[in-house]
Amino acid sequence: MSDDNKVTHFGYQQVPWQEKQQKVAGVFRSVAGKYDVMNDLISMGSHRILKRMTIELAGIRPGHKVLDLAGGTGDLAIKFSRLVGETGQVVLADINDAMLDVGRDRLFDAGCSHNTQVTQVNGECLPFEDNSFHCITIAFGLRNITDKDAALRSMLRVLKPGGRLLVLEFSTPTNKHLAKAYDAYSFAVWPKLGKLIVNDPDSYQYLAESIRMHPDQDTLQGMMDNAGFARTEYFNMIGGIVALHRGFKF
Amino acid sequence: MNLKDQSRSPGLLSTTALATVERAINTALRSDPTSAERLAIHAGRLIAIEATLPPVAIYGLIVEDGVELYHRSDATPDVAVKGSPMDLASLLLNWKTRPGMIGGPVDISGNRDFLQELQQIANDLQIDWGAILEPITGSELAQQLDYSARRLFGWAKQAASRLTEQLGDYVGNESGLIPHRRDVYEFGQDVDELRMDVDRLDARIQRLRSRSTSSSPSSPQDSGSSPH
Repeated sequence: MSDDNKVTHFGYQQVPWQEKQQKVAGVFRSVAGKYDVMNDLISMGSHRILKRMTIELAGIRPGHKVLDLAGGTGDLAIKFSRLVGETGQVVLADINDAMLDVGRDRLFDAGCSHNTQVTQVNGECLPFEDNSFHCITIAFGLRNITDKDAALRSMLRVLKPGGRLLVLEFSTPTNKHLAKAYDAYSFAVWPKLGKLIVNDPDSYQYLAESIRMHPDQDTLQGMMDNAGFARTEYFNMIGGIVALHRGFKF
Repeated sequence: MNLKDQSRSPGLLSTTALATVERAINTALRSDPTSAERLAIHAGRLIAIEATLPPVAIYGLIVEDGVELYHRSDATPDVAVKGSPMDLASLLLNWKTRPGMIGGPVDISGNRDFLQELQQIANDLQIDWGAILEPITGSELAQQLDYSARRLFGWAKQAASRLTEQLGDYVGNESGLIPHRRDVYEFGQDVDELRMDVDRLDARIQRLRSRSTSSSPSSPQDSGSSPH
């Protein structure tokens, strides 16, 4: 099938392959200003704890070079900036200019501008040299990338040998009762919160739908294996509602 | 990875607890700008605190606006302290233990000056409860609450100190549950003395045996008449 005829999912909708990127961009432009507030509300604050756990598994040391891909408003980049110190470097990268604007301001306000760069990139074809980073993180971002396999290959290419990728992403609950409760909560509450806080229920309807379309834990681990990552593993969090995948480049 | 392997995942509860402690420390630092400034001088430095029982490690990274706490770190800490929770608290928070009570050693490696400065900052930290509560309660009520909190915490600190002393007296002297450090030392000396006495006695027995063997007449077996 030629690229012109390929389709992919945007939530539960099928859309032409080339259109997903623009549609996702529209979602994040709409919510960028209140992204953190909305994250706190819909996750009931748990996203901060999950990001802390990601940082703990990142193994960042002073002098490391870290890529925070789909880094949005810079939650992780601020922490990494402090961990890599004066001799390290953090690149906050996102495809969305509105999210990067917020992230750049937050990095500046947190006093992290000395060792951070803010870059607008497409995760499917990262504009960095081979073997550039000790660690790459992508938190709640892979789900929105159209060609996830290409993105994983691209991340592997720019990782240094011995470097690690951490993918924090919504996943599949391991308990059916939890899954039902989570479905009810996310489909009933998130769009209403979206309407209330950012006057955009559709973006949060998309969020709930896109989570269900995202590969489950084992599938994503297989994709990382296929991309060439070694020693891949995942950690379920909050009963599998979120999973943290980790893989190394050797 | 299967479901059984999930035990290796980072603990949600322990991470939440650590985040809560970090938040409490940073809130306290925000209410005491002098201590915060003294701490900020050390931004970028890392302290590792390792409790032996239960085995828990906490890494504290000093940052410009406070501290960040982690359960694990691959970085080399500037200073590392290791000991029992009580001994660590005694070292880091200046909790006074009863003189004479048995206290385990705390292993310290790295920059001791940095550790000393951290201890000093922890001791001097004055929490301004008024500043913390003012956004919620308004300034007048906050001042009252601050005054009450200081009295309460002052009382609590004194009470804790008295309790520690009394507890030390009780377990050390009255109940006999825990021996006094001096008693343990004397017991150790007694054991050493007994061991040396036994060694001496053993040597004497060996000497007497060898003497009696050499002075006694030769037995038939000793005469070399064995058929072999």
